[in-house]
Amino acid sequence: MSRRTLPDSVRTTHGSKAPWLALAGGILFLVSGMLSWSYDDRILGDLSIRFYPAGIQLYAMLFGVIGVILAVLLLRRPAWLSPARGLRILGTTGIVFVVWVIASIAYQSGGLINANEGGWVALVGAVLLTAGGHLSPEVDIDVRRWPRLSSTLEIVIIVVLMAILLFTVAYTLDIEDGVIFAAFLIALIGLAGGLLGTGFGDYLGFIGANNRRPLLLAAFLVAFLFPFTQDGSDANMSIATQVLIFAATALGLNIVVGLAGLLDLGYIAFLGTGAYVAAMLSSSGFATVGWKPPFVVVMLIGAATAATFGLIIGSPTLRVSGDYLAIVTLGFGEIFRLAMFNLDGNNGPDLTNGPNGIPAIPDLELLGFDFGEVHTVAGIPLGRFSNYYFILLLLLMFVMLVFTRLNNSRIGRGWVAIREDERAAEAMGVNVFGLKLLAFSVGAFLAGLAGTIKAHQDTSVSPDQYVFLESAFLLAAVVLGGMGTVVGVLVGATILKLLPEKLREVNDYRLLVFGLLLVVMMRFRPEGLVPSKRRQLEFHGEDEELSELLQAEHLQTEHLKPEQLEPEPLQGAK
Amino acid sequence: MTVTDTPTTDREAGRVTVLQASNVTMRFGGLTAVDDVSMTVHEGEIVGLIGPNGAGKTTFFNCLTGMYIPTEGRVELGGELLPPKPLKVVRAGMARTFQNIRLFANMTALENVMVGRYCRTSAMALTSILRGPKFRREEEATRERAQELLDYVGLGRSGELLARNMPYGDQRRLEIARALATDPQILLLDEPTAGMNPRETEETMQLIFKIRDSGLAVVVIEHDMRFIFALCDRVLCLVRGSLLIEGSPGEVQSDHRVIEAYIGGDDEEETA
Amino acid sequence: MDAFAQQLVNGLTLGSLYALIAVGYTVVYGIVQLINFAHGEIFMIGAFGALSTWLIFFDGNLALWVLPLMILGAVIASVTTAVLMERIAYRPLRHAPRLAPLITAIGISIFLQEAVRLFYDEVPFFDFPDAKQRVPFPQIEVVTGPAFQLGNVTIQRSALFTIGCLVMCSAGLWYFVNRTRTGKGMQAVSQDPDTARLMGINVDRIIVVAFAVGATLAAVAGVAQGLQVTNINFRMGFLAGLKAFTAAVLGGIGNVWGAVVGGLTLGLVEAMAVQFIPGTFGGSPWKDVWAFALLIIVLVFRPQGILGAKVVDRA
Repeated sequence: MSRRTLPDSVRTTHGSKAPWLALAGGILFLVSGMLSWSYDDRILGDLSIRFYPAGIQLYAMLFGVIGVILAVLLLRRPAWLSPARGLRILGTTGIVFVVWVIASIAYQSGGLINANEGGWVALVGAVLLTAGGHLSPEVDIDVRRWPRLSSTLEIVIIVVLMAILLFTVAYTLDIEDGVIFAAFLIALIGLAGGLLGTGFGDYLGFIGANNRRPLLLAAFLVAFLFPFTQDGSDANMSIATQVLIFAATALGLNIVVGLAGLLDLGYIAFLGTGAYVAAMLSSSGFATVGWKPPFVVVMLIGAATAATFGLIIGSPTLRVSGDYLAIVTLGFGEIFRLAMFNLDGNNGPDLTNGPNGIPAIPDLELLGFDFGEVHTVAGIPLGRFSNYYFILLLLLMFVMLVFTRLNNSRIGRGWVAIREDERAAEAMGVNVFGLKLLAFSVGAFLAGLAGTIKAHQDTSVSPDQYVFLESAFLLAAVVLGGMGTVVGVLVGATILKLLPEKLREVNDYRLLVFGLLLVVMMRFRPEGLVPSKRRQLEFHGEDEELSELLQAEHLQTEHLKPEQLEPEPLQGAK
Repeated sequence: MTVTDTPTTDREAGRVTVLQASNVTMRFGGLTAVDDVSMTVHEGEIVGLIGPNGAGKTTFFNCLTGMYIPTEGRVELGGELLPPKPLKVVRAGMARTFQNIRLFANMTALENVMVGRYCRTSAMALTSILRGPKFRREEEATRERAQELLDYVGLGRSGELLARNMPYGDQRRLEIARALATDPQILLLDEPTAGMNPRETEETMQLIFKIRDSGLAVVVIEHDMRFIFALCDRVLCLVRGSLLIEGSPGEVQSDHRVIEAYIGGDDEEETA
Repeated sequence: MDAFAQQLVNGLTLGSLYALIAVGYTVVYGIVQLINFAHGEIFMIGAFGALSTWLIFFDGNLALWVLPLMILGAVIASVTTAVLMERIAYRPLRHAPRLAPLITAIGISIFLQEAVRLFYDEVPFFDFPDAKQRVPFPQIEVVTGPAFQLGNVTIQRSALFTIGCLVMCSAGLWYFVNRTRTGKGMQAVSQDPDTARLMGINVDRIIVVAFAVGATLAAVAGVAQGLQVTNINFRMGFLAGLKAFTAAVLGGIGNVWGAVVGGLTLGLVEAMAVQFIPGTFGGSPWKDVWAFALLIIVLVFRPQGILGAKVVDRA
């Protein structure tokens, strides 16, 4: 939320009314759930019946519950909590939520007339919540002063939250209707933001930072358990595997773009290299190479080939940089696509079957485990995509490990130094050219690895899967999530792959929205949704105080402002 | 071409020569930015480089540190010819700071110094991913050394601050710490006190003395005459790319040509 | 020899098209050091602008006098898009890190393609065709039709038109850059924007003019392309844009004449590669590969391009 708020005078005169406004808003939301939202009972899972809340009406009531809780908290004016911030998030997203629902009702049933009283009551409620939030003072809270829990209890909190996350994800993916799906997502953002914005979010971050390993473990456990919530259905698992491949590849790209600061617009070629190598060496009837090594060997060959291409593509970095490099990589990407398109025997050797690609790639079989079959574990059937999901999850874990470990090492520091100031890095003895090549080849290696699995999961490869647009998508995942971070890329990849799958209604517009999204992101939030902070200062209590102290100390001596430093708005525009 | 060399070999006899730049010339197209300049720096010595704006001081620095390949002349460090590559220059033992601070703005102070350790450490990609005991030891040693250097320049408590958020004077000192992290034999400082107030300038001077006393050779470019004459053992004055005079601070200070160069030079500077 | 002459003609035609688009990249780059990645889309919009003009005012009329008005329509469409793009998307990012405008450009590029694909047939009041497939482009009399035969060399009328466009646009551009106040202002800004600002030149306006000049030439190229290929589609800007950028780099980006020389060179190289590279790696399937290979080789070994005297040290 922005820090921009109302003038103090307004707040002093009307501030006392804030909790009551918020309370009224919350109650209106609660009531709206009991009212009819739509005259038409065929849309959005029937919102026409009174006193029998369904789907969206229940979400509205959840807004009400949290609104009331925050209002009551506001009345008690706690010094350690900032309900105002939560209310603002809750109220704003509440407005978005209600407007989205009303608009959808009007669109689907052919007129605003079909929107019944429930939506309008909720809209008033959302406005009141927002007003309440803006009228009440923001409390500067310091979560480090909150009582410390025992470490066991902290871990329990993490586990419980992760379990909630698991079921929320499972529930979310179960929603079939695109409009309800979007409504739930908005509601989720509002509800979570409303609760966490009060200070709980910071506190959870604090707990998380203190228990990194359990947090990571719990997160992977949740990811591991996810297929078991799907009851053997492959519909969501298919999306999930796509998200995983996409995320793993984007994370590889993040090494190149986010850490080393080199723009690569042809990155999809490395994924393609891996996939094509796997396809050519597979036992598909259309495979063009006679040799059929075991898959582990194929993985290594695919990744190594990609890494070699990475070295070749990276070699111009010695001489070109910035925009030029971006265009060179784009050129290489196009050459890859064209080569795959052409190498059909008539134009050059027959390696790729040309535009038809290599179809009928058989499922993987590792150590006697057939990825094509349904396996039943603990009574829950796990289908083909679940099998691939597990191996891709392992891959993603591996990529994350490589990313974080390289990031926190001499190599990673060298990369960031190059990104920050290439000339200075060189003058400090950093092997700029070597590190750039390393970034390209490590990134390519990881993408190639992902590609070998992708070939088997997709059962076919063809040149049209590896076009420039896909590279742009990968780049967008990195930029959207936040350059140089792991979590950011995961978030970005999930959003970019999941939303188009679920929002089938607007599927035709997804590229349009995507293009617009890139423009808007660069304009208003270039650092991404989860910006890299390089060091999360707020979690190092003593250091922050120290920083303030030092700043104060230097205030008298400082007469030239730090603005003289070259500004770098991409990382910390705000 | 008034190369007035005043050799002071008798005073420096017996001292170890660290840096020997002979007849360095740098031309950009038709412009001769540095013209036949020679400089010798000995161990434990502070040499000042002065001259009006545009006299070619920074260009000369860039020639020494391998950022430019000099058109003519040679640069030797510890008796060996320096290859004109910044990377190799640093490895050979020469480190520098920049006129306009060039820190890694979004890294912490500690990380900035740790980057300086890059060329003295060896962990490569695979080692960093596997994290064996050797890697941990090296990483720990790097961190310790960096913290030590921060303490050394008086920034011991600022390690976790982002460089961009540090006060101006601290940024200058951090740059020195980062340069020291490369274990240099000779340190080149490009206007280390530009924009500082008298107190900070005094602190910087003490710091440079401390570095000198630890056995390093230091070359300083500076505009602040009082600072340079109080600091240096020897001063070279460049004017329009050529060496005007070399001598003790006293000699240079009293040389009328230096004064002329500064006073008369100003007008030309405006149009240049 | 005939084959060579034929490819010379083909190459010059293709090269003229590249050159017309490349000027847009190079003019903008010369002034704001921005690779306007979406410029290919401006070319595409030009073609659609011409088509729309024809459909609205002259549907069915293939007389030659319609052509200038179609070009005018194309120019209006392209220039409007380019200026809006500069104003809305690029200007706020002028001091952002260099990655930001490039990503913005990719976003704009995709957005414009999709906007045309999705909404061209939904423009109210007019009965435009569906742009999801190729759309036939009006084949104006005189500039299309039976080709000329010069010995064994075939010269399409549209090819002559394209080359003619390049010659006329080059002359116009020369006059604009060297003889008008605004053109001189552009030169000044590309030399040193800050000083130019101090001299009272409205840098913002000059930048808009640069975008508009590039868009004008791209619009002409769009019409020429439509006449040559007989149809247009929403994707035509991507590859053409990329090639034109290659041409701009080849000639020396930032240098207007470099764009022309680079465009012609690239066109010739492509045409000759089709004819004269022996074995299975020759022929038209590989011509784009050779073009991109040329781009990479030029960027690596001579980043300043053929004519570029400007030092390219943009990080």
